[in-house]
Amino acid sequence: MITQLPPGMQLERVDERIMTLNVGPQHPGSGHMRLIIKVDGDYIVSCDPDPGYVHRGEEKMAEYRNYIQNIPHLERPVIHDSCNILYPYCLAVEELLGIEVPERAKYIRVIASELNRCVYTLYWLSIYGIFLGHSTMFMWPMGDRELLIDLLEALSGARVTHAYFVPGGVRNDTPSNFEERCLRQVNYFEKRLKEYEDIFYQNPVLKQRTEGTGILSRMDAIRLGTTGSVLRSAGVDFDIRKKEPYDVYENLDFQSQVLKEGDSYARSRVPYLDMLESCRIIKDALKKMPKSGSVRTKLKPNPKGGNDEAYRRVESGRGALGMYVVSDNKIEPYRVKISVGSFRNMICMPYLLKGEKLGNMPAVYWSLNYWPVEADR
Amino acid sequence: MSTIAPEFRLSRFVASLMNLILWILVLFTLIGLPLVFIVLFYIELPEINGELLTPYLALTWIADPSRTLPIIKSLLQTDFFRIAAFPGFGFAALLAAATIYIERKFLAKMQLRVGPLYCGKVEGILQLMSDGLKLISKEIIIPAKADKPIFWAAPLLFVGTAAALVSLIPVAPGWVVADVDVGLLAVFAVIGFFPIITVLSSWASNSKFPFIGGIRALHQMISFEIPLILSLLGIVILTGTLNLTEIVESQQHYWWIIFMPIGAIVFFITLLAELERIPFDLPEAESEIVAGWLTEFSGMMYGLVQLGSYVKLYAFAALFTILFLGGWSGPMVWPPFPQEIITEGITMGPITMKIPGLPLLDQEMLNATLWFVIKTVGVIMVILLPRGVFPRIRIDLLLHTGWYKLIGLAFVNIFIALALLYAGVLGPGGLIQ
Amino acid sequence: MSTVAGIIRALNSGVKHLAVKRFTLRYPEQKLKFVGDGFQFDPQTGVGIAGQKGRHILFHDKCTGCQLCAIACEGIAEAIAMVKVNNTWKHNKKAIMPQIDYGKCVFCGLCVDACPFYALYMTNDYELSSFTKEALIYTPSQLAVKPKVAQDVEIKIDDRGATHG
Repeated sequence: MITQLPPGMQLERVDERIMTLNVGPQHPGSGHMRLIIKVDGDYIVSCDPDPGYVHRGEEKMAEYRNYIQNIPHLERPVIHDSCNILYPYCLAVEELLGIEVPERAKYIRVIASELNRCVYTLYWLSIYGIFLGHSTMFMWPMGDRELLIDLLEALSGARVTHAYFVPGGVRNDTPSNFEERCLRQVNYFEKRLKEYEDIFYQNPVLKQRTEGTGILSRMDAIRLGTTGSVLRSAGVDFDIRKKEPYDVYENLDFQSQVLKEGDSYARSRVPYLDMLESCRIIKDALKKMPKSGSVRTKLKPNPKGGNDEAYRRVESGRGALGMYVVSDNKIEPYRVKISVGSFRNMICMPYLLKGEKLGNMPAVYWSLNYWPVEADR
Repeated sequence: MSTIAPEFRLSRFVASLMNLILWILVLFTLIGLPLVFIVLFYIELPEINGELLTPYLALTWIADPSRTLPIIKSLLQTDFFRIAAFPGFGFAALLAAATIYIERKFLAKMQLRVGPLYCGKVEGILQLMSDGLKLISKEIIIPAKADKPIFWAAPLLFVGTAAALVSLIPVAPGWVVADVDVGLLAVFAVIGFFPIITVLSSWASNSKFPFIGGIRALHQMISFEIPLILSLLGIVILTGTLNLTEIVESQQHYWWIIFMPIGAIVFFITLLAELERIPFDLPEAESEIVAGWLTEFSGMMYGLVQLGSYVKLYAFAALFTILFLGGWSGPMVWPPFPQEIITEGITMGPITMKIPGLPLLDQEMLNATLWFVIKTVGVIMVILLPRGVFPRIRIDLLLHTGWYKLIGLAFVNIFIALALLYAGVLGPGGLIQ
Repeated sequence: MSTVAGIIRALNSGVKHLAVKRFTLRYPEQKLKFVGDGFQFDPQTGVGIAGQKGRHILFHDKCTGCQLCAIACEGIAEAIAMVKVNNTWKHNKKAIMPQIDYGKCVFCGLCVDACPFYALYMTNDYELSSFTKEALIYTPSQLAVKPKVAQDVEIKIDDRGATHG
């Protein structure tokens, strides 16, 4: 005899052995999202991610701002990787309005984008360390991040939420001694990165904890539609910077990092190898950058797009970040759709965590490179 | 911060003062005096020069300061001093507090940052005091359906057991709180009590995260007790005694770590597991189960649990020093007392007065204490080091290590000890004495 | 065996770092140095000049009250409102000037990009906290004050590590 339930409520069968754990928004082991985990002893029976705690309606709000006013607005989903989330927006709007970007601006964009990728990955790595109980791995990346944030502050004026990219180039040129300061700090940063090998990546306790857990096979990674470092750690060589190069990535000399195992250890290692590549890219771009030139094409005041649409995508720290901008002859865009790497990779959570031990939950869940604010927009 | 203070009226102030005095007198006569009499009835008063040291006699030092020294000396010989201050709880608590501070600074230096800095003029020395004051000022919240007697008693039991462990440890020759002939066996018995306290407190908290933490703590501590006991059997075989003081005295020429390094390593790893330190801090795994079995403790109960935890750290480090590193043996570096003190006595200021007699503690005892403290601090530093280097281990790997690998290594150690004994190299009647 | 080697190498790395210098910036006693004067914008070339985006500075002898900064901020943070000021200038007959509410400002600098008269720049001053929300609204005369920013240290790298010195 089932009585009528009020709409929206579900009847759930309560089992004797199964305990429901709320790894909730107020938990030192989750981001700002909730995982409803059902545990049988030590094994996870099912995992139900519950995002949406930080949803603001970014896409709807973007329809009320014109193309330039959208710049500080659209960088808010990922504040410390803000250049990478503005990048596809700027590329799409440039396509819509038909603007050419000067050479020097392209190189500066690439440098800022790589610096931001390192900043985001260091933040993610430090939280990964603390989820596994490694307090030194929490402090070192946060400290080394300061070196890069210092550079970004000199370049754009703000430590996070740079609001640096505009359709047409970048907002300001580099300050006076930027090139040698950047080179010095990036060289030191590369030395610091190599220290992480001994204490983290070759640490036997870490390897025992993360190797062989949460294995994502190559076919599953493609079938589930994952992207970014999760995809590349499962053996699929797909890096947007190589396959669909934008700005000056075709002139720069770097490899895309691929590992074959597909377990948590590989997923935690691919962003680290990416960071080492980023250092190479920055040094290469600094060498090849034209020494002078304008960094911004002047736009007409209140630019309007025609009845057109544009979609560009970029490889950000979490995966493919795409922006689909539709305009209909007004100064505000008609629709901005943000397609985010974190949200695409979230499908792996219930799939990978089923059958895992509860002790492996932080290692697997955070290795999926999930940033809750971006996924909720 | 807008508190409304009542106006000051002299009559109300005087009235409250009288109230206070009245209550003090009432409590003193009704409770304090009987308590003093009961205490004096039961404790044994020491003797000076043939007289009993009653409180009246003790207060005569005000009249004649030259009596101070014998009074202090006699107080140093009492049992109460041993339990509360020197080799007992006071000493352990002091070293535990110093350990907490050193741990934070040491870990900070390894992580390229500064630890406590602003409390106290010099690099944050008073940080611990401010933390203690903060904990005292917080409200103690008890969960709704918690088992109240056990919940309240658990931190006290924890500190009590840690103090019991401290009482078995000899610091200098003759300075032990409890000189038991089966000292090492008593140590094992006390260590076996810790998992019970953990499980009791986690069950009494009536909440999910302490439950998981308590079960994990139980698994961890029980599975590492056996390698702990087995790794020390080698020493017992070679020395033939369980008395801790005699084990130290048997290491006068060589330390046991030279002959039984495997035993030392196994004991060190099980020590880390019993203390719930990283890499074995599953019971308090912060990122998974909030704070494990101590989640629901707040305020000073948490402070007591931390105190007990660090006193336990000191006790285990001291145990390692005694069993493997030779306890208090070391070259005599304490300067001998100058001859004038023995003949002419000590001058006590500010009004210089000469008091004949020997100094309070003798040179050997101070030297022994110095070496003991140096070695224990060294062991504590080595225990603090893995905290910054390793992540947390997982429960099934922990159990695998505890039950397979460590017991195997402990047995290898026992075979080495037996081989050394029967080959006549060590032990009573051996080649090397 | 490889686990033992790994353990020893990790411990070795930890001990090595005891000799590296500490990286912390002791904030209230030491403050970071900045290169340059603050974010500025040149309307003729259409490109900004790199600098720290801190508090704004309003040059009263250049502001004409055209409201372009307020219009630019309307879609972003609505932090700029135009208020009447007491004096009139030849170039500012309407006698209105921007007033910035730092409780709402996101320091994006698009108002600086919008000003065509070289009147609104940003400075290095970032210590803007106050006890009440009303004190965060900076009137045009408050905005005209040149800030005094203490600048002591920057990141220095040597072979024993990087430090703020």
